[in-house]
Amino acid sequence: MNAGTIPTKKGGIPPEANNVLNQIENRKTLYRRKMIIAFIVLGLLLVATLMVIKLDFKFMLKWLPFVLAGSGFTFLVAFLAIALACFLAVIGALGRMSKNPFLNSFATSYVSLIRGTPLLVQVYMWYLALPQIGKALEDLGIEGIQSLVTLPAVPAGILALGVCYGAYMTETVRAGIQSIKLGQTEAAKALGMTEAQTMKRVIFPQALRVIIPPVSNEFIAMIKDSSLVSLMGVWELSYRAIKVGRRHFQSLEMLIMVALIYWAMCILLQYAQEKLEAYMARGDRRT
Amino acid sequence: MKKKSNPMVKVTNIHKVFGKKLHVLRGIDLEVNKGETVVILGASGSGKSTLLRCINFLEEPTAGTVEVDNIAVTAGGDDKNRTSQILDIRKKTGMCFQAFNLFPHMTVLENVIEGPVTVLGQRKQEAVLYAQELLDWVGLTEKRDEYPSRLSGGQQQRVAISRSLAMKPKVMLFDEPTSALDPELVGEVVEVMERLAKEGMTIIAVTHELHFARDVADRVLIMDHGNWIEEGTPEKIFNNPENKRTKQFLAHIL
Ligand SMILES: Nc1ncnc2c1ncn2[C@@H]1O[C@H](COP(=O)(O)OP(=O)(O)OP(=O)(O)O)[C@@H](O)[C@H]1O
Ligand SMILES: [Mg+2]
Repeated sequence: MNAGTIPTKKGGIPPEANNVLNQIENRKTLYRRKMIIAFIVLGLLLVATLMVIKLDFKFMLKWLPFVLAGSGFTFLVAFLAIALACFLAVIGALGRMSKNPFLNSFATSYVSLIRGTPLLVQVYMWYLALPQIGKALEDLGIEGIQSLVTLPAVPAGILALGVCYGAYMTETVRAGIQSIKLGQTEAAKALGMTEAQTMKRVIFPQALRVIIPPVSNEFIAMIKDSSLVSLMGVWELSYRAIKVGRRHFQSLEMLIMVALIYWAMCILLQYAQEKLEAYMARGDRRT
Repeated sequence: MKKKSNPMVKVTNIHKVFGKKLHVLRGIDLEVNKGETVVILGASGSGKSTLLRCINFLEEPTAGTVEVDNIAVTAGGDDKNRTSQILDIRKKTGMCFQAFNLFPHMTVLENVIEGPVTVLGQRKQEAVLYAQELLDWVGLTEKRDEYPSRLSGGQQQRVAISRSLAMKPKVMLFDEPTSALDPELVGEVVEVMERLAKEGMTIIAVTHELHFARDVADRVLIMDHGNWIEEGTPEKIFNNPENKRTKQFLAHIL
């Protein structure tokens, strides 16, 4: 008998293919299992290290709620600042690509100035130097301007971070938009779309896909840079941890704790990023 | 006396200069009547694509006038009215590109309704109904929820044709719609173009697809260095070309 030459029913998966499919499936599960084991080992190593250096876990636990209470500020500052930064980045990118010489040079100067100066200096500018400008303007006769620009620490921090990250993200957004092939613009124009419609319906949704990984990076960096508002006396995460650590001479515990909290936040963000990227990739050949 | 109605497309003395001195189109005239199918042939770099792109202003002509369905726009000048007239010409003009240029982030159906919904402000349900008719007409009903990247080149080009037709254009421009396709996929696209011609669409096509030029076109024009060098019925052009350069060119592609 020559079983091998009997043709299988048309359309059905031949039985010998099942073996291969199973092998592929097994390899995938095995890989997943190994990954989990690797992470557990790393986690145990971390805990072991923390125990070897005789960390005072009781002390950490005691102050955890106090420090965590500062995470609200951290999130508030980071989210509002990133929202502002995204807004400025889109406006900035459109400005950088604009044919209007005024808008273009304005956007270019914004990016250049902000990227060319330290964030720390900018934070103090918004917080300490702006009221002084206000005073000068008030002296020129503009009523009430000084109290208007004398900002409390949190809004000043949000503005500083948002404006700063907006400048960096302007370049990210511009590069994303310019990475979309000319044929897309032409197809949209040929349908009769205006420039605004072309941007909104065709270019921007595709650019978003390119932009999301770098913007997530920025967002993660921003979560951490939000600790800069502690310079202005805001009781956010790192400020609380450092205060407590100094007072009780247990800075190591508090620093490790606050580091882990930041890390956990960033892991959450990374997870969100992966989900978003998977959604954006829906038009790809491979899913 | 036969009263001739206005041509659907009327191009008068179009020049196109790229940069300062690359003179690509050198005073082209073209009239295409309603329902007529015109094929443009010519050597690479002679300016065929540039002419098509001047008709819907993807390329701004340097001189001359373009008129589509009685909307006339002249080169130069920049009043507000002109911008909206160009948009009007584009709404009446469908264009198919060599590279398809489907929107990769939209499904087939979304691609097809994009024009009617965004540009014409149609309600979505209404646009979907017509889009389904069109997809049926090009034989892609079962692909409506697929993304373009999962379609073959021939299928993508047929979607691109449907996307243009969804705007109910008065004239269709084809710029080498089959030259990016594997040979076995050319037929399905040409077949759709042929049916479109039979149903009375006004077509201007740049294509080296001989069957289309010979059997479907009403008129064939030969371009060389930005000028027409010969024009006539397919029989005349293919069987009795007069111009020496036409003969050379045909010898090349036949
Ligand atoms: N945007 C542009 N900028 C500068 N030169 C251009 C541009 N577009 C086209 N050209 C030039 O104009 C000439 C005509 O180009 P066009 O694409 O119209 O030729 P074609 O007849 O369509 O050729 P093909 O058969 O290769 O498609 C070529 O020399 C080309 O290099
Ligand atoms: Mg061409």
